Amino acid sequence: MNNKNINDTDVIVIGGGVIGTSIAYNLSKRGKKVTLFEKYDHAKGASGSSDQLVLMQSKKPGVHLALALESLKMYKKLEEELGEPIHFRQKGGMILIENEKEMEIMKGFVEKQKKTGLDVDIITLEEINKLQPGISQDIIGATYSPMDGEVDPIALNIAFARGAKANGTKIVLGTEVKKIITEGKKAVGVETSKGKFYAPTIINAAGVWAPLLFEKLGIEAPIKPRRGQICITDEVDYFIDMPILSAKYMMAKHNPDLLKDAPELIAKLGIGLALSQSPKGNIMFGATREFVGYDKNVTYEGIGEVIRNAVTYFPQLKDMSIIRTMGGLRPFTPDGLPLIGWTEIEGLFIAAGHEGDGIALAPVTGKVVADIIIDGETFVDMSGFDPNRFSK
Amino acid sequence: MSDDKVFVCRCQEVTVEDVKEAIKDGATTVAGVKIRTHAGMGLCQGRGCGKIIARMLSEVESPEKITPGSSRPPARVAKISEFLEVK
Repeated sequence: MNNKNINDTDVIVIGGGVIGTSIAYNLSKRGKKVTLFEKYDHAKGASGSSDQLVLMQSKKPGVHLALALESLKMYKKLEEELGEPIHFRQKGGMILIENEKEMEIMKGFVEKQKKTGLDVDIITLEEINKLQPGISQDIIGATYSPMDGEVDPIALNIAFARGAKANGTKIVLGTEVKKIITEGKKAVGVETSKGKFYAPTIINAAGVWAPLLFEKLGIEAPIKPRRGQICITDEVDYFIDMPILSAKYMMAKHNPDLLKDAPELIAKLGIGLALSQSPKGNIMFGATREFVGYDKNVTYEGIGEVIRNAVTYFPQLKDMSIIRTMGGLRPFTPDGLPLIGWTEIEGLFIAAGHEGDGIALAPVTGKVVADIIIDGETFVDMSGFDPNRFSK
Repeated sequence: MSDDKVFVCRCQEVTVEDVKEAIKDGATTVAGVKIRTHAGMGLCQGRGCGKIIARMLSEVESPEKITPGSSRPPARVAKISEFLEVK
């Protein structure tokens, strides 16, 4: 039958998370006819189990941070553009430093980040106390950047989807893409749980599940799920003014070897503090970084350690209550950078592997992907994100 | 009187009308309604509204396809100091 073409689709997007919906929104805004397939629903993977941070300080100095800074510019106008509340706010952020060794490491980070254009400095305990009361007085300093922000990631995901739909994108939820159909060295469509669909361009934005679709084609996409466990408190009066992280968060993220001198469970579970308060008053804090395959359950050990760790930085958390815990899978890559670009198969594109930076990078990822697909080039240097870099 | 203004989720003050909107927007599961309305994100974690939402979804989706919302610890609201006491 006529399943070779659904409404003349130009582009098929696989994945309905923040990355897939941002891409669909940006492509459809520029006149492309897009169909997006999502196995379950929006915010079902990493987009719905993340914290709410739009951090600049946590990005790798260089192309990664440069891309995040472009995303930040877009965030400032995004709520108006999408016409839905996404609760973006920019109040700065701090990374707490516990000892001299961490201070050395963070000084190195700050120096490199400044070169990429980030407004960031080391501040003293007195300055910390002025910016955010309630922090343990055993802290020796922090890095502070006024550029860090926060957003409601689920609202962002839904707003991108609605924006894409308003531009004519067909969003097909509850439909699994089982296979990418190729003819010779060319991708021509997808086989889904509801039949086959065809388009000249296919974008794999399936996050941690992206490599599974590529495996069948013999393409290597070294994305691995890295679990994070988070706790959520009851709604309390507003008192956390900005995202608060620990230097160990940076080590666990960028170089877990640096945690070898940390307490055993902290090193084993890759625990670093990331704490913030939602507009409704819930305090969210995490997190672990664990390689445990596709298991996204929380564990007694993980949650216990996340709590013990958070209380050392914020003693008054003891008097608050937890209403929920959550586990999710970040799409980790070996060099910490996402895979964004054309694969070696004609017509097949990938935008996945953002690890814990998917929320911060979603706006700019959608824009650069639309640029590359429509114009063949974009306004930032994307060579560092080449998906074929690992096989070269 | 229309039921539209009746609260389905008391914790997050989500109404019948809000849930209907979410279903119109594409939600077919309790979790789908949750991400669109915040129903079930509050103090009781969907213990009350989960069943009502599942019933409302059954008007558009066959009941065997409606998956319940995911449950996560703690089973009830728990003080952080209590976690610190146990090793």
